[in-house]
Amino acid sequence: MLAIAPFALFVWASRAFLRYEAPFELRFPWVPWLGVEVGFHVDALALFFLLLITGVGTCVFVYAAGYLGEDPKRRRLFSWLVVFMAAMIGAVAADDLFVLYTFWELTSLASFMLVSYHHESETARRSARQAMLVTFGGGFVLLLGFLVLAGLAGTSSIQGVIAAAPRFAGEPAARFAMFCLFVGAFTKSAQIPFHFWLPDAMAAPTPVSAYLHSATMVKLGVYLLARIEHVFADDWLFGPTLIVVGGTTSAWAMVKTLRERDLKRILAWATVSALGTMMMLIGLPGAEGAMALVAFVLAHALYKAPLFFVAGNVDHCTGTRDIGQLAALARVMPWTAAAALAAALSMGGFPLSFGHFAKELIHIAKRDGDLYTIIGYGSIPVSAITVAVAAIAAVRIFWHRGDGSIPSEMHEAPFSMRIPPLALASLGVLLGLSPHVVDPMLQAAAKCITPDAHLVEIDETRELLGLVPVYALGVIVFASWDRLHEVVAKVKLPSFLLAKTHLEKSQETAVHLASIVTRTIQHGRLRGYAALLFSTMLAALALTLAATLEDGRTLVAHARLGEIDGARIAVLGACVLLVVSAIAMTVLRDTFVLLLVSGLMGLGVALSFLFAGAPDLALTQFIVEVALVVVIASVLLRVRRLGIEHPPTPASPSRLALSLGLGAAVALAIVAASGTGTASTALAEYFGAHSLPDAHGRNVVNVLLVDFRALDTLGEITVLSLAFFATARVFAAFRREEAGR
Amino acid sequence: MKGRILVLEVAARFLHPLMMAAAVWVLLRGHDLPGGGFIGGLVAVCATALVSVARGAEAARASIPLGAPRLTAIGVGLAATSGLPALFADAPFLTHLWVELPLGFTQLSIGTPLLFDAGVFAVVFGALGGLLVSILAIDEEEAP
Repeated sequence: MLAIAPFALFVWASRAFLRYEAPFELRFPWVPWLGVEVGFHVDALALFFLLLITGVGTCVFVYAAGYLGEDPKRRRLFSWLVVFMAAMIGAVAADDLFVLYTFWELTSLASFMLVSYHHESETARRSARQAMLVTFGGGFVLLLGFLVLAGLAGTSSIQGVIAAAPRFAGEPAARFAMFCLFVGAFTKSAQIPFHFWLPDAMAAPTPVSAYLHSATMVKLGVYLLARIEHVFADDWLFGPTLIVVGGTTSAWAMVKTLRERDLKRILAWATVSALGTMMMLIGLPGAEGAMALVAFVLAHALYKAPLFFVAGNVDHCTGTRDIGQLAALARVMPWTAAAALAAALSMGGFPLSFGHFAKELIHIAKRDGDLYTIIGYGSIPVSAITVAVAAIAAVRIFWHRGDGSIPSEMHEAPFSMRIPPLALASLGVLLGLSPHVVDPMLQAAAKCITPDAHLVEIDETRELLGLVPVYALGVIVFASWDRLHEVVAKVKLPSFLLAKTHLEKSQETAVHLASIVTRTIQHGRLRGYAALLFSTMLAALALTLAATLEDGRTLVAHARLGEIDGARIAVLGACVLLVVSAIAMTVLRDTFVLLLVSGLMGLGVALSFLFAGAPDLALTQFIVEVALVVVIASVLLRVRRLGIEHPPTPASPSRLALSLGLGAAVALAIVAASGTGTASTALAEYFGAHSLPDAHGRNVVNVLLVDFRALDTLGEITVLSLAFFATARVFAAFRREEAGR
Repeated sequence: MKGRILVLEVAARFLHPLMMAAAVWVLLRGHDLPGGGFIGGLVAVCATALVSVARGAEAARASIPLGAPRLTAIGVGLAATSGLPALFADAPFLTHLWVELPLGFTQLSIGTPLLFDAGVFAVVFGALGGLLVSILAIDEEEAP
């Protein structure tokens, strides 16, 4: 049922695409003083991605319903899938760098929640954490890049940045921003050296892997760079960096593929490799690259998602994903086998499939620049292994006889798990038969990347001839897969070369450091805390006083004797009360009496407030003092009854020194503050004058609280309520523990 | 709770409603005279403290209307809501609005600050009162 929402969006996006003439925009202010607005700019490229997101999304929702069955946690999966889809839509439609960033991080968050779906499993938790650290870490760098870029362009609108690009091209800051964007895109799209999280993220349920980790989310990095390509197109480092990183990733991932036995992980590495190819396509010069890129993105979504579905079906129906244990499944799972075959045709780039069409475009794009001919040859092994992987997923596990160790319990997947892979895969084949159906769409999308993108004439015979070595090599790899696997699996790389080990090590170090810091600071001795607090106070006061003295101000207060009236005498009386009770505090030993005397001191303070003309403050002080004494008294009673009272400790010289020092510093500070006459009365005058006309109130204190500074008050009461809720939990737990004893 | 003081208990029965009335009065007059939501809330907390000293923490807990957590949450909600009407008047969040009601002999000003102040009152009462009760409850002996 939930699939209706993405499907409706899909239909809407298709309609929008068919009638597409000009990009439509939607913007309203968000943070006006920073020039940030929630802007959406839906052009053909965005629509193209929207189609992918909603189209694959529909299949994923249908598939997930069958895959999860009656899983009690399925509600959580579906809600996060919806969140993810919304975030993806927002990310590709956004026109503001910071809006894009927000949605970008939201997709990472959704990915974290979805990978950790099986949170009982340690591996799933670890994989989720790792994926989150990598993508969020990259996200921060990306934000830095966005900030620099927005600063350079003077606007945070992506279209604005592209328009302003010629103005700041060649500046070092622009290059810095470019590399920040690279890091962000490479972490998201799993490029070397950040590639390792993607195969590990396969701990997620299969619908999630198909949706997030192959068809959509990991393509965000590709999308971002394609979108922003114009800004950096003149930088001579832009293309080569992408080609080197993308090329290395796509080749290295294929080597890693050979090390795997798990069908899902094999597919994941193939995805990493495909993402590398996409990066490379962005980096290639010439107009054909853009066309090839969008075609390949579409083809990849149409074959990789169904292959993941197939892997999910196999896992679901046989209980294993180890290709060594799977064979001859076609008899039991004819539907799944058909889907796998159709998808694999496209993945391998066999003629008459859409993958073939995309692959030809890629070849043309690579051929375009003379310098890059070598890439064309270099990619032959990569394509060959892709062919082999496709064959593994479609031929080996379904038709290969195997050695008879077939799982005994097998059945075909339910209906809702058969339709989505079949639909997507057969669409891939249909589009391959008649690519002209999607040509206008691809062309429109490609034009958003490079304005002079155009249809490419494909010379069929020449291309087929060029693909012959690929197929030949692919068949060889497929036939000798097990042997290759043994060889590659034996090779051990030194661990310092692997980014993963560094990440894990830094995590361990962080935890270790944190525990050291916690042990040092949170030692649990109250007296230590108090000493630390008071010494900090003393130091701060002493520094301020020293600064005041350096300014050449005198510390001596100008004692002025005004006329002596009733209020002054009353304040004087309150001060006498204060002094007397303060002296009493130093002499008395019994905790209860001490408490009462300290309450008396508070009373003295309140009295002085009252007569000095601050009745609000005085009232508050009175009440707080009363409540405090009641509460502490009851806690003291309890302590006394339990017999866990500490005997008062004898005075130590260091504590005595601290007390004296702090007392002296506070006294000096008060004298300095009242003596220098720096206290400005401007604020008081302003509020006094504006309180009644502007805020209809005569009580300036209250007007300040509820009107002029209402946002502060709102913040304060929020903090207060949060503190209450937190402590209430602690007290409730405490009471439960008591009751349990 | 044993060892109750009868005089205190009887006094609390009379004083509690009085103190609550005083709290609300302090809240209402706050905009022009000393008082306001914060002080009013504190007075209400003191009323709760009185009940708890006289009749025990459970009685005090019951004396907080709606229960402390709910009251606190409602308070934050009230204060935040009072800032919303400003948005419809094209003013920044929390700009307070006033309505003047002519009452013949005088004018009555009613505005969103009262709502805000009532929110502050509820939060202070709920959070501090709730905290007070849960601290005092530690001293309570378990019911037999």
